[in-house]
Amino acid sequence: MIKAENITKKFGKQTVLHSISTTIKQGEVVAVIGPSGSGKSTFLRCLNLLESPTEGKIWLNDQEITNPKRNKLAVRKHIGMVFQHFHLFPHMTVLDNVAYAPQKVKGIPKQEAHQTAKKLLAKVGLTDKEQAYPNRLSGGQKQRVAIARALAMEPETMLFDEPTSALDPEMVKEVLDVIKDLANTGMTMVIVTHEMNFAKEVADRVLFLDRGKLIEEAEPTAFFHEPATERAKDFLAKVL
Amino acid sequence: MNLDFSQIVPYIPFILEGIGTTLKFVSASIVIGFILGTLLALCKVTKAPVLKPLADAYTSIFRGTPLILQLMIIYYAVPQLTGYDISAFISAVLAFGLNSAAYISEIIRGGIQAVDKGQTEAAEALGIPYRPMMANIILPQAFKNILPAMMNEFITLTKESALVSTIGYLDLMRRAQVVGSDLYRNFEPLLFAGLIYWVMVFVLTQLGRVLERRLRQSD
Repeated sequence: MIKAENITKKFGKQTVLHSISTTIKQGEVVAVIGPSGSGKSTFLRCLNLLESPTEGKIWLNDQEITNPKRNKLAVRKHIGMVFQHFHLFPHMTVLDNVAYAPQKVKGIPKQEAHQTAKKLLAKVGLTDKEQAYPNRLSGGQKQRVAIARALAMEPETMLFDEPTSALDPEMVKEVLDVIKDLANTGMTMVIVTHEMNFAKEVADRVLFLDRGKLIEEAEPTAFFHEPATERAKDFLAKVL
Repeated sequence: MNLDFSQIVPYIPFILEGIGTTLKFVSASIVIGFILGTLLALCKVTKAPVLKPLADAYTSIFRGTPLILQLMIIYYAVPQLTGYDISAFISAVLAFGLNSAAYISEIIRGGIQAVDKGQTEAAEALGIPYRPMMANIILPQAFKNILPAMMNEFITLTKESALVSTIGYLDLMRRAQVVGSDLYRNFEPLLFAGLIYWVMVFVLTQLGRVLERRLRQSD
């Protein structure tokens, strides 16, 4: 469970998040949508403290992770993240990309880490790419490796920051399918996305952000069919 | 034209020995320069407050004054100040090592900063601590990108090493001069020494290419 309470984020004088509060329950899949520059990604990045909120508190289960005394790295072990631009380690093979963090962070022996990595790569359909280097892969394959890499840490929660936005259209599905499978396993997930149909299908709840404010928070059927606010209606009219 | 290379033949072993003396202090200087340069570069990219200005000041001093002056200060001033009779070899290693650390630190800093910021974020998001992140993720990528600049620095260092002849260290250059004054003929020994420098740099360049190719296997 992640609980955000009055999260405000300022970059200099600019306020990009205005006092956002929400709770992501265990096993819940939450889609964060909204126009570009609405603060979706910043909000997501606050949840694993890649950005420190200027004000407000975040709890992971019953521990306040925004407490400055808490070790950020310890928090991040429990929260996996997948980026828009993958950020795979280019000088490591696919297998090492996935197996590196468990060894370094959790002290898991190499052999065991490699075994887990192989299982995860099989799960995302990339067994034949274990020894390849990332720049031999297509965008869709890279993103699936990135998902396997995050899962290798056995996180409780996964954050996805526009996981398909940098992909060629024909590769979007293979990545979304992997994320869908993951949702079906009961993984807690927060997904920033522009894929409305995907959000509709997979999410338990939708957060609609605009100009740094949480405008609407609803169950997807309700949100996509009868948005409560004018701003959401307007947005959906443009994207659907 | 008055050229007679046969006259330097008896001196060839003496000059060739200079390769060893030169390489000995050049390689020691490179090691010092590389290690110190890496540490300085890490100080320059850190968010910790004091280290950065210190590293910047270091670079400013060693890049802002002539190498020969630094060499002279170390060789002549250290005994005057401390009474310790510093050897030409130690002076040379110190001067060249400390000096090239300043240049190398700038090369490495640039290399670190050129690594995509997403790499740091990905490592942070996985909970990887600072040290392994730098050692296993950021620096390997930085080193790959800066290898040509680094080879350049090593080549410069190899050639500039001839400066130590001014403090009487019997390197390749100094030996050529000694032979020259023995024979009253300078062109032949100097040309011979020049040829040896060129060969050393040539070999270094080839080594660099091999290393570069190996590091590029992930491309």
